[in-house]
Amino acid sequence: MTPILSQFSYIIAIVVFLSAVGFHLSRKNINLVFLYILQSSAIAVLLFIPAIQEMDFLLLLAAVLTLAIKAVFAPYFFLRLIRRHELTFTSNAYLSLPLTLITLALLAGLAYSHVFKSFVDLSGGNMHAVSLAIAAIFVSIFLSINRRGALSQIIGVLSLENTIVALTLFLGVVDSSGLDIGVSFDIGVWVVIAVLFLSMIYKQFGSLDVSTMKKLKEE
Amino acid sequence: MIILIVILTLILASALSFFLGKNIRSLEKIVIVSSLIELAAAGYVFFNFLANGQISLAPLFSLDALGVLFFCLIAVIGAAASFYSIGYLRAEMQKGIITVERVNIFYVLLHLFLLAMFTAVSADSPIFAWIAIEATTLSTAFLICFYKKPSSIEAAWKYLIINSVGLLLAFLGTMLFIALASKGVEAGEWLNWQSILTAATNFNPSIAKVAFILVMLGYGTKMGLVPMHTWLPDAHSKAPVPVSSLLSGVLLSVAFFLILRFKSAVDLAAGADFSQHLFIGFGVLSIVVSALIILRQKNYKRLLAYSSIEHMGIAALGFGFGGIGAFAALLHILYHGLAKSILFLSAGNIFLKYGSTKIKNVSGVLQALPITGVLFILGFLAIVGLPPFGIFFTEFYVFSAGIKTQPVLAGLAIIALIFVFAGFLKLISKMILSKKPEEVAVGEANVWTYVPIVILVIVFVVASLFLPEQLKTVINLAIK
Repeated sequence: MTPILSQFSYIIAIVVFLSAVGFHLSRKNINLVFLYILQSSAIAVLLFIPAIQEMDFLLLLAAVLTLAIKAVFAPYFFLRLIRRHELTFTSNAYLSLPLTLITLALLAGLAYSHVFKSFVDLSGGNMHAVSLAIAAIFVSIFLSINRRGALSQIIGVLSLENTIVALTLFLGVVDSSGLDIGVSFDIGVWVVIAVLFLSMIYKQFGSLDVSTMKKLKEE
Repeated sequence: MIILIVILTLILASALSFFLGKNIRSLEKIVIVSSLIELAAAGYVFFNFLANGQISLAPLFSLDALGVLFFCLIAVIGAAASFYSIGYLRAEMQKGIITVERVNIFYVLLHLFLLAMFTAVSADSPIFAWIAIEATTLSTAFLICFYKKPSSIEAAWKYLIINSVGLLLAFLGTMLFIALASKGVEAGEWLNWQSILTAATNFNPSIAKVAFILVMLGYGTKMGLVPMHTWLPDAHSKAPVPVSSLLSGVLLSVAFFLILRFKSAVDLAAGADFSQHLFIGFGVLSIVVSALIILRQKNYKRLLAYSSIEHMGIAALGFGFGGIGAFAALLHILYHGLAKSILFLSAGNIFLKYGSTKIKNVSGVLQALPITGVLFILGFLAIVGLPPFGIFFTEFYVFSAGIKTQPVLAGLAIIALIFVFAGFLKLISKMILSKKPEEVAVGEANVWTYVPIVILVIVFVVASLFLPEQLKTVINLAIK
């Protein structure tokens, strides 16, 4: 990998990581969606680089599909839902903001610890980007766990998927472009289903706050 | 070619069901025909494999011995659940519980669910298999909230989120295995299970271990291993009964199938001890926790769901102990699938009669539903592992393998099984053998609600008493 490409990968990794941290700090649903567009666009750029370098049509198609599904299609559904139900603010997190920030710092520290050294060895020239991607994976998992809002949980799952894709690209995983397309399609279907569930939850419980869902306990 | 026939049949069945809309009789005919095709294909796959070895449709599909076993399991239980659905949905419509539109949605999703499972076990690529498993989550999420009650929507949401996070961890583990296997491979080359196995001896052991832990956590979530099991009792108890039987009897095993695929690779990279210790740890934990919950369970569908966690734990223990334990574990998965389907489908008849899944609201099943009562008792005897049912022998071999290598943990698991027996016995005495309330009428809902269960019982008893040599051969090949 050339030094310029390596630096470029690192910049993308920073964008992916910061957007994952931004999800935790955001108190408005619309900000969550825009951060997701930013993160997904960064991932799409990562996919475009090898596609253009190798002039691989299928890889290019996979990159376009990723951009279309994650940066256009999914945000469109989320924004429509937010507007329809006037879901301006996100639900509270289980941990307070200071405790959330401390946890994020610990998770980032863990990603840079000795435990994941062998991953960095596997990465070739992308060691800093790999560590940041691992940190972003932890931060995304924590988002799904810490947030009470169903929309935030969905963004957490999608962010986790983005960060895993980023890590595999930084590790230089070679894979069939056909399967990349399959995974993108799968994510697209997942988004549609998740949005349908959000609507159902809102209709049944009058809120997207999952802590209001107590019917299973009552039974 | 035969794999493609099954895949295309299910795609066609799902599409036709979607377009037929409210024509119930046609929907039922489609489900019967597609189930018969799947059964015939499973028979063909089994005997063709014995005659010619691996069945392949490169580069997408391939079936080795392990794949053949799971392919047949899906076909048999899938057919039983599909036939049963006809009677069950008719009865629910008569009672006004569901509308024709819901029946239509049910059949469309049922075909897609089966399609995803057949694809997962026959996919030649680990990522393709992951996509298929993810598709099972997507198709079943709507089946779990089929009744659109707040509690079922809650259960489905829990299922969707927990399983999606779990499966993304499995995806990460899969990609790490591919990262290890793709060194020296040209970009864009199709990496299948065999290429991972071929490269496994050169893997970095620490990365292979981390990758396997992620796969174990991810697919273990889908398999219902403790502590990733929290979605399972809710989802299995809220889904319509035919779907519960497929979730418990087949889907958990399909997730285990994928863990076993990666086990072979990590064993070559890091030695067999590593995966065996993980299997033993998760296995014992799953058995003990589920046994304690079964003992004080108040809902019979949830009890059956916890029993599935316990049996997945036993299967994991079998592979953890190794040797004869692995053979027994694989056979255990097949027996468990049959026995759990018998119990869930019988539980469906009980629900149709009493309208409740709470144990305290059900009594005198043997008097009110004589056929279902007997079938449920047989299912109970089978699932708790009493002789001469097959589960007795598989548990015996799993634990005899364990006593030699891990006596304390094997002993702990055996004690837990006594709790399970006590929990089931309580259920049987309260629900089945007690006196029927006068207001409850006697009689089964319709013939479709018990004939598929009777057939499953016959298959189970025959497979318990006379284990066919051909099946032994395929299992032996699979554990190799």
